[in-house]
Amino acid sequence: MASRKETAPTTSAVVASTTGTLDSPVKQIQIEGLVVLKIIKHYQEEGQGSEVVQGVLLGLVVEDRLEITNCFPFPQHTEDDADFDEVQYQMEMMRSLRHVNIDHLHVGWYQSTFYGSFVSRALLDSQFSYQHAIEESVVLIYDPIKTAQGSLSLKAYRLTPKLMEICKEKDFTHECLKKANIGFEHMFEEVPIIIKNSHLINVLLWELEDKSTVADKHELLNLSSSNHLEKSLQLLMDRVDDMSQDIVKYNTYSRNLSKQQQQKHQYVQRRQQENTQRQSRGEPPLPEEDISKMFKPPQPPPRMDTLLIAGQVNNYCQNVKEFTSQNLGKLFMAEALQGHN
Amino acid sequence: MSRFFATGSDSESEESSSADEITPKAPGTNFKQSLLLSDDEEDTKRVVRSAKDKRFEELTNLIKTIRNAMKIRDMAKCLEEFEQLCRAFLKSKNIVDKEGVPSFYIRLLADLEDYLNQLWEDKEGKKKMNKNNAKALSTLRQKIRKYNRDYETEVAAYKENPQESADEEEEKEQGDSGSSSDSDGEEGDEVSATSFLKKKPEPAPEANKFLKSDESSSSDDDEDGEDWGSDTVDSGSESSDDGEGKGASLALVFLKKDNHIIWIVKNVSIFMLFICSIHQEKPKMFAKGTEINTVVVLKKLNEILQARGKKGTDRAAQIELLHALANISAENNLGIGILVKIKFNIIASLYDYNPNLAAFMKADMWKKCLECIDELLDILFENNNIFIGENIAEDSESLSISDQPFRVRGCVLTLVERMDEEFTKIMQNTDPHSQEYVDNLKDEGHVCGIIDRLLDYLENKGSTEEICRIYLRRIMHTYYKFDYKAHRRSLGLQGESKSEQDQEESEGEDSAVIMDRLCKFIYAKDRTDRIRTCAILCHIYHHALHSRWYQARDLMLMSHLQDNIQHADPPVQILYNRTMVQLGICAFRQGMIKDAHNALLDIQSSGRAKELLGQGLLMRNMQERNAEQEKIEKRRQVPFHMHINLELLECVYLVSAMLLEIPYMAAHEFDARRRMISKQFHHQLRVGERQPLLGPPESMREHVVAASKAMKMGDWRTCHSFIINEKMNSKVWDLFPETQRVREMLVRKIQEESLRTYLFTYSSVYDSISMATLSEMFELEIPMVHSIISKMIINEELMASLDQPTQTVVMHRTEPTSLQNMALQLAEKLGSLVENNERVFDLKQGVYGGYFNRDQKGGYQQKGGYQRDQKGGYQNKQGYNRGGYNRNHNQSNY
Repeated sequence: MASRKETAPTTSAVVASTTGTLDSPVKQIQIEGLVVLKIIKHYQEEGQGSEVVQGVLLGLVVEDRLEITNCFPFPQHTEDDADFDEVQYQMEMMRSLRHVNIDHLHVGWYQSTFYGSFVSRALLDSQFSYQHAIEESVVLIYDPIKTAQGSLSLKAYRLTPKLMEICKEKDFTHECLKKANIGFEHMFEEVPIIIKNSHLINVLLWELEDKSTVADKHELLNLSSSNHLEKSLQLLMDRVDDMSQDIVKYNTYSRNLSKQQQQKHQYVQRRQQENTQRQSRGEPPLPEEDISKMFKPPQPPPRMDTLLIAGQVNNYCQNVKEFTSQNLGKLFMAEALQGHN
Repeated sequence: MSRFFATGSDSESEESSSADEITPKAPGTNFKQSLLLSDDEEDTKRVVRSAKDKRFEELTNLIKTIRNAMKIRDMAKCLEEFEQLCRAFLKSKNIVDKEGVPSFYIRLLADLEDYLNQLWEDKEGKKKMNKNNAKALSTLRQKIRKYNRDYETEVAAYKENPQESADEEEEKEQGDSGSSSDSDGEEGDEVSATSFLKKKPEPAPEANKFLKSDESSSSDDDEDGEDWGSDTVDSGSESSDDGEGKGASLALVFLKKDNHIIWIVKNVSIFMLFICSIHQEKPKMFAKGTEINTVVVLKKLNEILQARGKKGTDRAAQIELLHALANISAENNLGIGILVKIKFNIIASLYDYNPNLAAFMKADMWKKCLECIDELLDILFENNNIFIGENIAEDSESLSISDQPFRVRGCVLTLVERMDEEFTKIMQNTDPHSQEYVDNLKDEGHVCGIIDRLLDYLENKGSTEEICRIYLRRIMHTYYKFDYKAHRRSLGLQGESKSEQDQEESEGEDSAVIMDRLCKFIYAKDRTDRIRTCAILCHIYHHALHSRWYQARDLMLMSHLQDNIQHADPPVQILYNRTMVQLGICAFRQGMIKDAHNALLDIQSSGRAKELLGQGLLMRNMQERNAEQEKIEKRRQVPFHMHINLELLECVYLVSAMLLEIPYMAAHEFDARRRMISKQFHHQLRVGERQPLLGPPESMREHVVAASKAMKMGDWRTCHSFIINEKMNSKVWDLFPETQRVREMLVRKIQEESLRTYLFTYSSVYDSISMATLSEMFELEIPMVHSIISKMIINEELMASLDQPTQTVVMHRTEPTSLQNMALQLAEKLGSLVENNERVFDLKQGVYGGYFNRDQKGGYQQKGGYQRDQKGGYQNKQGYNRGGYNRNHNQSNY
């Protein structure tokens, strides 16, 4: 029994790991408190407004858990240092960190975001190249605005295997996407995050929490909402505009396509008629011509952008929903409080 | 040529050298020859030439031009001529068949081919050639290659022994000419001369040969040649400077060893003779003793006129001749008829003086022209019994003194019109900032005087059509002038002194009255559309200029010119543009800001106001148009004294745009799809915003932009100070005749619009606001404030109500917050997104219309309902959209 008991977890672990390689190598992400603080600090110091900061995550994979133990930032790009070599910088940083005995395995990257607008082509491309090279790599998205409102917002994303396939083929026509049966909701998968601290820090945090006054937590109860909502709506609107444009583009494309199909059809019919006539007259049939050459199908618009926009719109909507539900709660609370008083 | 000299010159040259008093034996023939040289000469030639000679001469002439073109490397010309030559050669085929291919023809072919090959080899030279020439060269080369294949043997033979063949021909020709008649000899002489030249020996022998051949060609000719020589020498040495110069140039030409020589010699000698005849004959146009009567003078006149338009004619001399003739006829009392006739011709030849249409008259010519027309009119006024008309035939004229009235062919009106055009041309071509321009402008009074006199004349004698035309001229000289006298009178200011008042009265009616009378006549009587259109436009312009806004506007609307002006010719269009601009400025002066804006919008929005008003060419278009177009456009320019100040125009436009746009912008701040009233104004605002550092405004535009910014904040005082200050006064406002009134109007408008803007912008801040405060803030009377606010409430621009007892405005706060606005916009956008999406879907399914039916019951209706309680603008937009939907719907159902 005991032996069986011992074997059971191992088999299950094996199963898990095999499924993991099939589905996704990481099921969970464990982040050191240090990394979180470093990311926050990086944004605070370097990023302003809609500017985005990026950096490299270091760590290692333990079974199906990705542990991120350290990170370092990328310098902000400026016009002056055009000859700045990113790769070399990364390698040097990692070498240096190795010298001081820090994990030097590249496991992904992080990026700050402005009102949750991160679903973009650039992110897709770089995450794809990361994931292509290092299978377990993730992207951490840090939302400083939400964090400023009182709740830390840090999310880890990976591309789904389906999307990886498509990106590998670099075929973004709508047929391909249809074949892959991929929608905006299947593009990214979110990986749960655990923030792990050493016990000493936990103790310190407890102590701090005890000491902190109620006023320090007022941030969370801020009732003003319109500013944030306006901003979100503005961004949402922009995306919707883009989406409309894409759809119009697609619409014209499909109309052109159908028109051409019709022409092609007519042409073939005419040919056939002529041939039958010729046959009846005893003449040789007309030579077959390459129809595809005569009717070049119009260039189908790439659908990837639309997909991304849809993903982004979805993201905004989630944000707004989350935000408003929280706010509603707060409003009810405030009402109750007023009634109580 | 020689024939002419044989008869004409031996008598004439001797005379001229000796003295004036020697009476010619046959004066009639004499003057005929001296004046009508070219005709005479041609006639003699034409008569005696045989078919062969004619053809050959044609060929040789063409060959000559080709050789000339070869010399100057003008390939295009060469090609053209060569083609002609081939054609000519083909024409003379039967002669060639009989006589054999003429050797000069072969010679040309050979030479041309060599020449072309040589050019072809010369890579450097080819590069330098312009495109046209290079192209012509290659075509010509191919052509001649093909062509020469037919004459291979002959060409080869010539190439072997060019000298011989040329000599041969010469001999043959000489032989020919020697045996043939006088004129034939002359012909041969010419040909042989060319053949000499073709060989291109050194200059000196050539000239010798030339002369020699001339002498040796035949015995008859011999004499002529000497005669000819002596003639040139004579005239060169003894006659005036002019003649000497010609003689010198003649010598030069001789030395030049050009193919031209013969031709030039011919022409120059004719020309010299002509000059001589002018210089010497002038005082005795008619031989002494000749009875000078109408017939003789007329004949003379016709002779002079026949030289008109010919190449060698000295136009100045012709005018002189005509003047002399006029004097003679006056001296001899030949009657008014002939004088009028001559005057007509003098003026016509004055106009002819300039060879092309673009050039303008010289000052002295212009003065002369004015005088002449004046004199002509004097005569016409003095003598009632003269009929003039274009349609009086030449032979039905009666010019001699008799009981019947004179009948003269000619049209004073055309002359005066032409004079007017010349005046415009002079003004166009004078630098407007020079004293010269002012001097020229002084003639305007004279021109107007002439037009007035002619108008009086024609009113009595002319047909309605002519009256219309002269009226239009009069109108054209009146419409753009501001009538200060009438203005002063209308203001009720009496002239300071009695005498001035008298003067005013004596000067006649108001220009308005005149305009009215003339224009109404044209409206009633004119049958050509153009004159009426011009008259209407001028009338409107005049009304607008004198601030009679309603008349001007009504006339403009009644004329329906806006609909069809694009079919008119450019000058009328320019007039139309000027009128519209003047109308707009007038509306502005009257405080009709919206009308002013609408009238000026078309002109200003294009950014080509300068071009559209015919007040200058835009540099931008320089590359697009060629020189020809540019000339045409230059001719359309309006003279400087009629210009409309462009800065004033732009300022008026911008200020009216500001008064309209700023409140509108404030009212529709959150409207995603608000339209711009004036693009140009927005452009100016953006330019202003782009400035990194804003200094105090300098230019007119900066002033307006600064004022707009102040107005946006509802700060009317700053706005006022930016719009009306010393700088702007001197630049713009002082240009108006009623400056003070305009300024007052402007201040008023600024206050009103600022109040509106203020209410739009800050109504969300107020719960209520007292009207007294508002009236104090904007320095408007309370009733005025009341009316403005009431208007805004009625128009649903302001969600508020008036509280009568406390005299306050109570805000209702129905304005959506910015978040709500945003949400509305989003909803709209999502709507269109869904619509687009459904369309894609429909295409896939092949089912049309399903979506729209759904839509009409579905969520959109709700959205529409939601927005209906918004402002009026929304409703309109919604209605518009709905129309769009329905249209789509209908289409998709088909």
